[in-house]
Amino acid sequence: MNYKLKEIFNQVQAEEELKKHTREYINLQRQRYAQTKARKYSHHIYAAAFTFLLVILFGGHWLYFTPIMTISIDINPSVELEVNRFNRVISVQSFNKDGMALTEELDMEFKNYTNVIEQILNNESIVELLSQNEVMTITVIGTDGVRSEQIMSEIETCAAEHHNTYCYFASSDEVAAAHAMGLSYGKYRAFLEIQSWDNEVTPEQIQNMSMREIRDLMNGFPEQEDELTNNGNGYGHHKRGHGSGNGHGFGRRN
Amino acid sequence: MRSEHEINRAIELHANTVRRLCMIYLKNYADTEDIFQNVFLKYALNSVSFANLEHEKAWFIRVTINACKDLLKNFFHSHTVPLDLIMEQPIEIPPDYQDILEAVFSLPQKYRDVVYLHYFEDYTAPEISQILGKNVNTIYTLLTRSKRILREKLGGDKYEL
Repeated sequence: MNYKLKEIFNQVQAEEELKKHTREYINLQRQRYAQTKARKYSHHIYAAAFTFLLVILFGGHWLYFTPIMTISIDINPSVELEVNRFNRVISVQSFNKDGMALTEELDMEFKNYTNVIEQILNNESIVELLSQNEVMTITVIGTDGVRSEQIMSEIETCAAEHHNTYCYFASSDEVAAAHAMGLSYGKYRAFLEIQSWDNEVTPEQIQNMSMREIRDLMNGFPEQEDELTNNGNGYGHHKRGHGSGNGHGFGRRN
Repeated sequence: MRSEHEINRAIELHANTVRRLCMIYLKNYADTEDIFQNVFLKYALNSVSFANLEHEKAWFIRVTINACKDLLKNFFHSHTVPLDLIMEQPIEIPPDYQDILEAVFSLPQKYRDVVYLHYFEDYTAPEISQILGKNVNTIYTLLTRSKRILREKLGGDKYEL
């Protein structure tokens, strides 16, 4: 029977038709498999590229539109410039009507802050105000000491050619309190000093005063005059050319 | 994934073995064709390297048996009657051998593959135990019982096993 079993099983051969169909079927499946694999990988590539693009877009947006520094400029127009890590002005905020007129007149956004300060300092109305013995204060507000000093130094260079212009540095914590009162930082500092002599003074009054008027008001306090002279405070301390910024930094007359 | 050349070589070498195993397990040509194609597709998509041709053949036997068993266990398959069930498998067996074939097919399934591997492929019990993943003693037992059953069915000593 052993032999007969072998004979029987030998009769069973895979049909040529069956082999042919199998080859065709495998070829078809191999093509589908390769296509699916390619499609799968292409999806991965698209997903990775899309994610990369999103990271670049959101990361870039975050990097560009996160301010690292605020520059507060007060004369009578009071404006604040927010500066990003690329030294570009990303927003301009005005704190009074003159400030609004100035921001409307000048194209400041997305420009280098030194160019913007030059534009402001060379603006006709500002030049006229300075020539009328008005006082301009430029306050750099930030947290990064080295960076702030760098910016401060550049602003001082810009302001050097202009009469009655003072530069200060302040920490960013103080700015929130100024904004809460609707004042730019330069006027807020002046408001605090005036308030220490006159409790009745209001932020609204200070908001619409020019820096010259504020300074004259401050000069009206005899003790203040003494203090300014003694402490070298930036306000009304023109001749020294250097002074402390209300105890928080430093000021320079140019 | 294997090359077309490798696949064609494997079909030429192992097609008959796969086909015979399908015949042992399956009762209709459609199922045979399905299993036959799936076994070779699995080979085509597989990247396992074989030590030699015997190793490759053992892989085909194992995969074919598993595929057949899976098909038979499938609920849909066990609860439906294929259209071509009544059709004979397209294999011509000489009338003299018809009784032996019927006797082999009448064996319980667990004996059929052992009988095929031992009497046709000439595998020893230890080799069969490796291929089927069963204990050697179990294979010996299955072989002994299948011989006894076949002897009984075929009329005692008329066929020597």
